[in-house]
Amino acid sequence: MVSRITEQHLKRNLGLIRTTMLGVGGSLSAANFVIIGEAAGMAGYAIVPIVIVCGFLSLLTMFSYAELGTAIPLAGGEYTFSKVAYGGFTSFLTGWFEWLSNMFYTALSAIGFAYVISYLVPQINIPLTAVVVVAVFAIINLMGSKETATTETIITIIVLAVLGIFVVGGWSFIQNAPPEQPASPVGILGIFAATAYLFELYLGAEAVAAAQAEVKNPEKNIPRAIMLSALILIALYTSVVVVAVGVAPPEVLSHQASPIAYVAEQTMGPAGAVLVTIGLAITGLAATNEAIMAQSRVLYAMSRDGYLPKGLCKVHKRYCTPHVAIIVGAVFTAIFAATGLVNFVVYAVNLGFIIGFSIVNLAVIRLRKLAPHLKRPFKTPLYPLTPIAGIAASIFLMLFIDPSVLILGFELIIVALLIYYIRMVGSYRIRVAFGGISLGLGAFVCSTAYLVVANIIVLHGASQGLATLAFWVLIFVGAIQILAGILNLLASDR
Amino acid sequence: MIGKKISKTVGLMQAVIGGASMFFAFFLFYNVFSLQEILGASDGHIWFYLWILIIFGLLSVISGLLLFFMSNKRWCLA
Repeated sequence: MVSRITEQHLKRNLGLIRTTMLGVGGSLSAANFVIIGEAAGMAGYAIVPIVIVCGFLSLLTMFSYAELGTAIPLAGGEYTFSKVAYGGFTSFLTGWFEWLSNMFYTALSAIGFAYVISYLVPQINIPLTAVVVVAVFAIINLMGSKETATTETIITIIVLAVLGIFVVGGWSFIQNAPPEQPASPVGILGIFAATAYLFELYLGAEAVAAAQAEVKNPEKNIPRAIMLSALILIALYTSVVVVAVGVAPPEVLSHQASPIAYVAEQTMGPAGAVLVTIGLAITGLAATNEAIMAQSRVLYAMSRDGYLPKGLCKVHKRYCTPHVAIIVGAVFTAIFAATGLVNFVVYAVNLGFIIGFSIVNLAVIRLRKLAPHLKRPFKTPLYPLTPIAGIAASIFLMLFIDPSVLILGFELIIVALLIYYIRMVGSYRIRVAFGGISLGLGAFVCSTAYLVVANIIVLHGASQGLATLAFWVLIFVGAIQILAGILNLLASDR
Repeated sequence: MIGKKISKTVGLMQAVIGGASMFFAFFLFYNVFSLQEILGASDGHIWFYLWILIIFGLLSVISGLLLFFMSNKRWCLA
């Protein structure tokens, strides 16, 4: 193991302030200020300490990011850390979930933007708006978006200023007319569920570690920027939530499409709502743009490293962008954005990042054992308690994630395992096995088709025409399954 | 050459069918487009339908992808 790993290709031009803004800006998204309302409905007034607790839980893993970011100053974030610490399947799985969580985060940012805008224009169709936003930014990214840290800094400062006005205005309002605050009626399970839900607020601060190859004096600036951005975010979100639940009861907030705009309207009038909506809309669009770029780069890197089909690492001749990766990612994102289901997407984002966080904490422990002499300009304090606490927090939060998202995550792990091990085991035996499975599925579907046409399975409320259509669809699906089974069984053993 | 094209086409169709059934399960669970009412699915049966659709979809996607990608050499696995 080399004692120092460096990357020479990128220019180091980010100082402490711009690096910190990268961390703060990476976490700011319109969706974060939409989900606050739902979380208030889950946890009542307990949302205030939950926001602080989530910040500190996130900080546990940020220490690990800081240690690995300074010891391995290469672009790529958790995927790179995992490659150095583990390699093989673990790094593939990390990249896989990094892509999925970024894909879900893109969908969430677009849905969040649509919800924020819907406060001013209630007639808009939220899923359609979210899909349009994804499509527009996919095209912008295809043509080569010139994203710079300076733009990110400017947007972050604008949003911080808007939220600062919101907090000051709201605080004065509370001082003049303090509302009654009854005890929170929710139980401990509601509080835990809200913690798992609100963990999303702090995701994105690890962007500092991902951009480490461009940070000046990374040994000092990366850990400082990570700590500073975490503290700024905790202060910001706590202030916003204190003002929000101080002005409107949690049950009122939970029914608002844009809770923060609603609160701004109560405290500063319609002008306040417009100001906050514009600020949040800007951050929603910026977050969507960044997330599309991030997910396409993960797909590109995994394809380049041989984990995914080569087509995904094709670069457009004219625009010099990974166009296939952008289009594939945008299609998946648009499908999830089209559902408009905020809660499902929030939990899916959280699941992906929680798995990523766990692997980063494990990587710190493994590298301390494997490479004790690796130069570490920053060391995680209270090692090994801090990374272990980070892993424990991740496992705990996972227990409260929506079961449907956990099922999806389990399926995605199986798919990842199969893709990876096809190479290790050899495809022939797997193809024969799936050939047999496909034949079985085909027979099952054809039997179901027979049961439908024989009226043994009755489709309630379906007309005769619809039942006939269902029969032919099932016959078609069964035929494809049988044909696929035969083709897989006939595969040659090369 | 023709065999390769047939394999790719059938593999792609099988994967799309699998993906569609998983999305259908997802829409059914969240009752998107009021699917539960349209299909007359009661609460007690939803989990059964979900289980069937998800397993069917997952197996179809994997089998379809195997057929699609293994019919050429464009994989670049390490």
